[in-house]
Amino acid sequence: MAQPYMRVEDVKKKFGPFTALSGVSLEVYPGEVHALLGDNGAGKSTLIKILAGVHQPTEGRIYVEGKPVTFRSPRDATAAGIGTVYQDLALNQLMSVTRNFFMGRELKGPLGTLRMKEMDQIAHDEMLKIGIDISDPQQAVGTMSGGQRQTLAIARAIYFGAKVLILDEPTSALGQKQQMEVLKTIKTVRDRGDIAIIFITHNEIHSKLIADRFTFLSLGEVIGAGTREELAGDDIRRLMAGGAEIGDLAKMLERA
Amino acid sequence: MVAITDRSESDRLQRESTLRRLTRRPEIGAFVVMVVIVVALAFASEGKAFNALGVKNNIAIIAQFGIIATGAALLMIAGEFDLSIGSMIGFAGMSMAMMLKWGLPFGLGEASPFAAFLITLAMTLSIGWVIGTIVVRSGLSSFIVTLAFLFFLRGTTEVAFRLINQSTQISGLPDYKETSWFADLMGGEVFGWFFDLWFMLGGNLNRNGDQWVTGFDARFLWWIVIAGAAWFVLSRTQLGNWIYATGDNKEAARANGVPVNKVKIGLFMFTAFCATIFAACQVFDTNTSDAAKGNLKELEAIAIAVVGGTLMTGGFGSVIGVVFGAITVGLVANAVFYIPWIDGSWFRVFVGTVLLAAVFANERIRKRITGGI
Repeated sequence: MAQPYMRVEDVKKKFGPFTALSGVSLEVYPGEVHALLGDNGAGKSTLIKILAGVHQPTEGRIYVEGKPVTFRSPRDATAAGIGTVYQDLALNQLMSVTRNFFMGRELKGPLGTLRMKEMDQIAHDEMLKIGIDISDPQQAVGTMSGGQRQTLAIARAIYFGAKVLILDEPTSALGQKQQMEVLKTIKTVRDRGDIAIIFITHNEIHSKLIADRFTFLSLGEVIGAGTREELAGDDIRRLMAGGAEIGDLAKMLERA
Repeated sequence: MVAITDRSESDRLQRESTLRRLTRRPEIGAFVVMVVIVVALAFASEGKAFNALGVKNNIAIIAQFGIIATGAALLMIAGEFDLSIGSMIGFAGMSMAMMLKWGLPFGLGEASPFAAFLITLAMTLSIGWVIGTIVVRSGLSSFIVTLAFLFFLRGTTEVAFRLINQSTQISGLPDYKETSWFADLMGGEVFGWFFDLWFMLGGNLNRNGDQWVTGFDARFLWWIVIAGAAWFVLSRTQLGNWIYATGDNKEAARANGVPVNKVKIGLFMFTAFCATIFAACQVFDTNTSDAAKGNLKELEAIAIAVVGGTLMTGGFGSVIGVVFGAITVGLVANAVFYIPWIDGSWFRVFVGTVLLAAVFANERIRKRITGGI
C-alpha cells in the first residue's frame, strides 16, 4: 500500500472541560477521496480546524509524508500543503474571477503592477483542468453559480500548492445539479492522482458516489472507518446516523 | 456517476456587446449626468461658463473637489468613511499659515513654505495613522471614530488660532509665490500654454484685446497627479486588488493573506494627505487662512465619490467615475456665477437630488454585476 500523505494519530482536543475530540485517527492517501461523515456536533469542524492549523490539538500527532508536524497557524498548514476550502469559500463577489483567484498572492511586475493577462490565462486554465470552462475570467464572482464558485476556490487551493484538499461541506448549500457539478470536480481532482481529498459531508449519498475511504465521527469519536469495499451500504447508513437511532426509528415506524 | 448534460453553467453567461459592458461600468451614470450638466450650463449661461475665465474658475473648484473626493473614494472602496476630511483641511491650513506668520515651533526661526508644509504633512499623516489604527484595532465604525475627529480637529484648530494668533483668521501674509518655488508649485499657475494657444487661435481676449487668462490654478496639476496615481494603483497594481478585496469581504481578504488593517490605515493616511494638499493649495493661492476652512468638505467629498459610482458598502468604484462626479458637482457649484438669476442654494438641492439618484443607480449596477444576488 502507498504511503499516506497525511496521518492523524489519536488526536484529542479539549476546550476547557468539554472534550470535542477524544482520540481520532485517520489517514489520507494521494489520489483518494476520504469522506469524513458525522452528524452536527460530531467534531468534524474541530478536526478540520486542527488540520488547517486554526486550533492546536491537546494531544496526539499529525504526520505529513511520514514526518511529525506542528501547525501553529493556518499559514504553517498551507506551507505543508494542506489547503482548506471553507464553506464561505473566502471569495469576493464584486471582484473578477482572476482577482479572486490571485487575491493576496498576485503576480507582480515592476512597480507592483499586476500581470493581468497572465493571471487571466492561469485562472482560466486551472479551472478548465478541473472541469469548468469559464468564458470570461474578468466576470464578477457574483455572476457565477455556487458550483462554479466552489470550483474556483478548489482550483485556487490546488494552484497554490495544496497536496491535501480539505473540502468543508462543499455540496451543502447548493441545488441538485450544482451538487453533481461539484462532485464531478472532486472526482476530476481525485483522478489527477497526486492530491489527497478530505471530503466533509453529512450527505451519505454524495459520499458513496465518490469516496474511496470513510471515517465516521460521532460525539468526538471515530465510530467506524474503512475503505469502500470494507463497508457495505447498510453500514454507511447506520454509521451516518450515529449508530442505532435509525434502526430504532424504523422499528417505531413499523409498530405504528 | 449521475449523467451530466453537455450544457454547463458557463453557457448561461452571454458574451456581451461592448455597449452592454459599458453599462456595467461604475462610472457610466456619472458620465451621463456630467454630459447633461455641461450642455445645460453652456446653454443657460449663454456660453459664459466655458469662456477662458469660466474654464479656469470651473477647473479651480473642480480640482478642489476632485482632490479630496479621490481620497474619500479610495477609502470607501476599502469599506470605510472619513468624516474628518473637512476639519483636517482647516487644521492643515491653520498649521501652515501659523508657521508662516509666527515662525517654526519651539522658536526654531522663520518657516519657509516648504518647511511649513512638511511639518504640517507629518502631523496630518500621523493623525490619519491614529484614526486608522483606532478604527482597525477597536473594530468601531469609522463613521463614529472620524466624527469624533471632525469635532476634535476643528476645535483644536480654533483653540490654536486663538491661543497663538488671538484671531481665528490669518490674512495679509506675503505672497510667497514670488520667492518660493514650493509656494508657486502649490498656489501658482500651471498649463499656461493652454491659454496661450487659445489666445493665438483668436480667443481668450479681454476688453482691450490682450490675452485675458494666463493659466490654471496649480491645484489642477495636483488633482491630475493624485487622480492619475489613484487610478493606476487601483486598477493596475497589487495594492489596488487589496483595496477592492478589503472593502468587498474583509474576512475573505484576510483568509487569503491580504493585510487588511495595513490597507485601511494607509488609506486613512491618504485622505489626510489629500486634505493637506487641498489646504496647501488654498493657503499659498490666497495667502490667507481661517478656522472655518474646509467646513462640510468631508460630506461633499463622500457625495462626489458616490455620484462617481462608488458603493457605500465598499468593494466597488472607480477613480474615473470620481473625476466625472467632481466635474459635475464643481460645475453646478459655480453655475450661480454665470446664471445671475439663479439662487446659489439650488446647488445643495441639486447635490442632494443627484446623490439620491446615484445611490439607486449604483445599487442597480451592483445587482447587474452580481447577477441580481
